[in-house]
Parts: sequence; C-alpha cells; structure tokens
Amino acid sequence: MRGNDWYGKDWGLTVRMVLTVGLLIIVYLAFLTILAQFMEAIPLLMIAAVFLMAQYYFADRLVLWSTGAKIVSREEYPELHTMVERLCNLANISKPRIAIIDTPIPNAFATGRSQNKAVVAVTTGLLQRLNQEELEGVLGHELTHVKNRDVLVITIASFLSTIAWFVMRFSFYSSLFRGGSRDRSAGATIVIFLVSLLVWLVSFLLIRALSRYREFAADRGSAIITGNPSALISALLKISGVMKRIPTRDLREVEGMNAFFIIPAISGDTIMSIFSTHPPLEKRIERLSAMERAMEGFHGSY
Amino acid sequence: MGLIDALLGRVKPAVPRRDALFSISTAYITLEANLDIRHAGVAGICFKIVSSTTFERLQSDLEELLTLAKRDTATEYRIEKDSFGYLWIVLRDNDFEDLVTTINMISETVIENGFGGALLSSVFKFKNRSGKEIYIIYNYKSGRFYPFVPEGARQRDEQYELKLNAVLSSELPLEKDISKWYPMWGLPL
Repeated sequence: MRGNDWYGKDWGLTVRMVLTVGLLIIVYLAFLTILAQFMEAIPLLMIAAVFLMAQYYFADRLVLWSTGAKIVSREEYPELHTMVERLCNLANISKPRIAIIDTPIPNAFATGRSQNKAVVAVTTGLLQRLNQEELEGVLGHELTHVKNRDVLVITIASFLSTIAWFVMRFSFYSSLFRGGSRDRSAGATIVIFLVSLLVWLVSFLLIRALSRYREFAADRGSAIITGNPSALISALLKISGVMKRIPTRDLREVEGMNAFFIIPAISGDTIMSIFSTHPPLEKRIERLSAMERAMEGFHGSY
Repeated sequence: MGLIDALLGRVKPAVPRRDALFSISTAYITLEANLDIRHAGVAGICFKIVSSTTFERLQSDLEELLTLAKRDTATEYRIEKDSFGYLWIVLRDNDFEDLVTTINMISETVIENGFGGALLSSVFKFKNRSGKEIYIIYNYKSGRFYPFVPEGARQRDEQYELKLNAVLSSELPLEKDISKWYPMWGLPL
C-alpha cells in the first residue's frame, strides 16, 4: 500500500479541531471550578442537562416543524431517494429520512440526534437550480454532517456554554433585585456574573470556530464520497449567488437550532467571520480546490 | 477508530470488502438445485466516477485488462454510464465462474489503485423457470448481498425476495437490515 490517497490529507483541520475542543474543555473546567466556590452547582447542571436533552431529543421534529419541511417517500421523489441511497452505500451509513421544503431559496440541511434519526432536507429551489453532480455534492456535505454526528458534537460542546448563559442572566437579575443589601453576597454575585459572561463569550466563539471546522470537514467528506470537489464548488457558488439576490427570511428562524445548513440562512458580509457558523465561501472553495489539486497530483500505482 | 474519526470530523472513504464476493459462486448452485433458478450469463459492477485524471487512466487500464480477459475466458464486456452518472462494466459469459472471477479482478484493480471508495455494488443476474428476472446485489461497503426482484417499472416482488433470502441465508452473507435492500431500477444488465 502507498501511504497516499487520492483525496490528500488535511492535518491542519484535525489539529485545529483538537485545539478548539481542548480549549473549550479548559474553559469549562475553569468555569465549573469557580462556580463551585460560590454556589451549589449540581442542581443547575441538572436543570440545564434536562433542557439540553429535550432540545437534543426533539432536534429533528423541532427543526422540521419550524422550517416547514415535509418528509417525502420514495414514491414522491424516486430519483432523490436513489441518489441518497447510493451515496449512503458508498459512505457505508444508514439512509436518513428525506424531507423537502417548498421554497425557491436553494438550501439544504441535516438534523437529528443520531444516524438513525437523521433527516436530510433540501428545498425545491435547490432541486430546480442544481444539476445532478452539484446536488450530489450538497447531499454528500449533509450526509457527512450525519456521519460525523455533528448534532451530538455541537450539543455537547454547547452544554456548559448554555449554563454560563443561565448563570449570567440569573446573577444579573438577582443583583438588580437585591440592590447591594449585603456587601459580601453582592460582591460574589458580581464575580459570578463576570465569570459566566466571560465563559459564555469565550465558549461562544470557540463553538462557532468548531462549527466552522465541522463545515470544512463536511465539504471534505462530500468531495471524498462523491469523488468530485468541483461539483460542490459550483453548487456552493450557485447557492450563495442566488441567496444574495433572494431574501432569506423564512429560513432565518431556524438559525441556532440543531440543523446544519449547506450555506448559512443568514449570509452576507454583515457577519464578522469569528461569529459565523460557516467559513467564508472563498475559504471553502480554496480547500476544495486544494483537494482537486491533490487528486490530480495523485498517481496511484502508476 | 470510527467514533474518534467522526468526532474529529476526519472523513475517510468507507473501506470496500471483497472477501465475501466469491461466495456467490457456490450460492448459484443452491439456487439452481433448490429453486430451479439459473444464472443469466450477465453480471455488472457499478462505481462512482471520480473526477481525476488518474481515475481516467484506471478506466483505460480496466479496458485493457478486460480485452485480455476476453481472449482467455471469452468474457464479453460493455462499459456504460447510467442515469445517475455511475459507471457500469457489464460482463457476459455463459460460465458463471468466469463472471465472478472477472468481477473480482475488476474490484481488485479498482481497490489497488486507491479508488476502492468509489465501488458501489456488483450485480448478478438470474432467471427462474418462468423467466422472472432475479438479481443478487453485492454491496462493497457492507460486504453483504441482497436480493432484488423487480416487477414492472417500479414494483418489487418482495415475497420472492424474502424467499431467496431464506434459501440463501446459509450460503451467502446477506444484508439483515431489509431497509438497506435498495432497489436498482433500470439495471443495464
């Protein structure tokens, strides 16, 4: 065997992913340690766990409901079903349920807490605008989100961030209402407020970074499954081009839910890149082009 | 490793398995003896086209190999693209063993050249006494077979498929999850 593959390697991505997760863990551990100094943290953790479990458990239904996506059968969309089946076969994953959203905006997302509960949804606009290979590229991207268990990864990563947010709100209101009656406890409340604000901010940025790396990974996975990075590039260009022209209001509502869109529903140059869930289009295209080059540089045993 | 790769977002193509492929060459004897099903002298292998020059070279290499094999075993071949853009190599030979050997040779060549991830399935065609077309499909990623008996344009004879499943269960590694018995309509075989 040669130590080489046609799709090349991306160690940088793995390293960044590990670093981000490592930093998140450090921030969270520090947060828990500080929190434990000031208050009984266990009940709070339990409440947040229940809250997140519910969100995680109902992820698919919640997202489907709010996007108006309808699960479609093989009889309704035979070609789409076959396309997904074949890609699932190639990637050796179970076939997710397939949903359609009736909107001219071209987009797609994956959701669901496990491979068995996964749903991949595409809009009618996507089906109309993309050719077969481009559509495969988008489906490959979404299937990689499923394969990588991205809903689970981001839910776990967001767990303590959500707690920090709760604590921050809680300590803010309690300091408002008690209005500095006792100096010692007021001081503690301010410390808790500041610490949780900091934790929330830092973890928010880290989670967004993690999310962007998951998007890169999904692009990569798509290129590997379909064997055609250029088709995904052309799909990304088409989708983002159309999205700039058409208002995307109806898909904005699901931002922040456990759904992984191919192109963020809120797009454009208004969001700073460190706050963004998706890497900038140019970077994604750059990485995919690098894969294309790796493919042409690969000569197998020839 | 699978889970760690998933968590790190490291994607690798699924590893193809061809170890089980050869078991079809004994299973067809069972089909003939128990159900009076005979092979139709046709088999096909289907893979995703990878958009790279090296893959194109692999394709022309395969054609060369197949031309050579034709001299040896008189196996006829035809290459075509289906409506989903997948490549098919369809083989014709009255000797079932030769069909299996050639399918295996193609799989091996594809895997050895680093494109094993692109292998989708192999399909073997059979017919029963009344002329009903029966397909046994091998999935490279799961390393398992499943029956496919189309009836008309978009219907399947599920009862017959389950019967085949029962008869073949001791002969072939079969896909136990029936929801993965994906139909392949309009086979070029």
